[in-house]
Amino acid sequence: MNQDFTEIQQRVRHYWFKDGVGEIAVGGLFVALSLYFAGHYLAGTRLLPSVSNAPLYIDMGLGVVLLLGIILTRKFIAVFKMHITYPRTGYVEYYIESKNSLAARIAIFIAGTLFVLILIAIGRWVGSFKWIPAFLGILFGGLLVFLRTKTSGLKRFVYHAAVSILLGLVLTFNSMPVPGLSVYYATFGLWLMAWGGWVLAKYLRENPLPNGEDDE
Amino acid sequence: MNDDLRALTDLDRIIHEPARLLLMTILSGVVSADFLFLQRQTGLTKGNLSAHLSRLEEAGYVKIEKTFKGKLPLTVCKLTSAGQKALAKYRQQVQSFMDKTS
Repeated sequence: MNQDFTEIQQRVRHYWFKDGVGEIAVGGLFVALSLYFAGHYLAGTRLLPSVSNAPLYIDMGLGVVLLLGIILTRKFIAVFKMHITYPRTGYVEYYIESKNSLAARIAIFIAGTLFVLILIAIGRWVGSFKWIPAFLGILFGGLLVFLRTKTSGLKRFVYHAAVSILLGLVLTFNSMPVPGLSVYYATFGLWLMAWGGWVLAKYLRENPLPNGEDDE
Repeated sequence: MNDDLRALTDLDRIIHEPARLLLMTILSGVVSADFLFLQRQTGLTKGNLSAHLSRLEEAGYVKIEKTFKGKLPLTVCKLTSAGQKALAKYRQQVQSFMDKTS
């Protein structure tokens, strides 16, 4: 009985991922981050070599990119689900682990920004950023496996994790003419968007809008 | 009648019905869910689902509210605290019976 109970609840948790919009939105955020890091690289080496403070300003811009990216990602998911998912397969409100959501969001944002700035600082101190794609690949891979185990149970998160880890390792152990971090975010972001798009297309095909009847 | 069998006769009949047990199990994992979602998850017809939800609402296990999410009109269902307790007790009774008899 416990097994059935757990299976039913897991099926309900799967529902959030059923339309693929989460992957599309996070993929978009990653592509935006790749553009940010590409800009950082160009400003520091090619475009603005004479403006010594340009990389510093762009470092500071990371917080803005992350904040805007997270806000837009959440908004995109909410609006999409409202107009596409809920009318087709229904509305669900899930429990949020932290009730103190504003404080928790601010803390996550600050922690995320600090984390990336610390990575940049370590890279400058060590004199190389080559290891960062492998580090991030393994980190995101681990998070995706955790997400699969704890939240969704969906097999596709294991594929995403494998791609993240492989991509990170390949970019770290191969010489690239462009920064590996930017390539990592761009490639993994596009992978997520493509997979999310495929899941969405399947979802839309399998779940046409119900006839315009009342919901009871 | 031995105690194991007596425990089964004490089961909450409102929850014991399979469709209502499924509804309560789904609702126990979420804050709320709308009528369409419950219909898709259970495979019940609208009339059947409505009847089972009304029965659960009468028992005080489920709260049904008409609301809006943005411009989208929704009929959302939530498990009440009495419903949570009743489901937990039901699970414990069935689990206990199965443990003793298996």
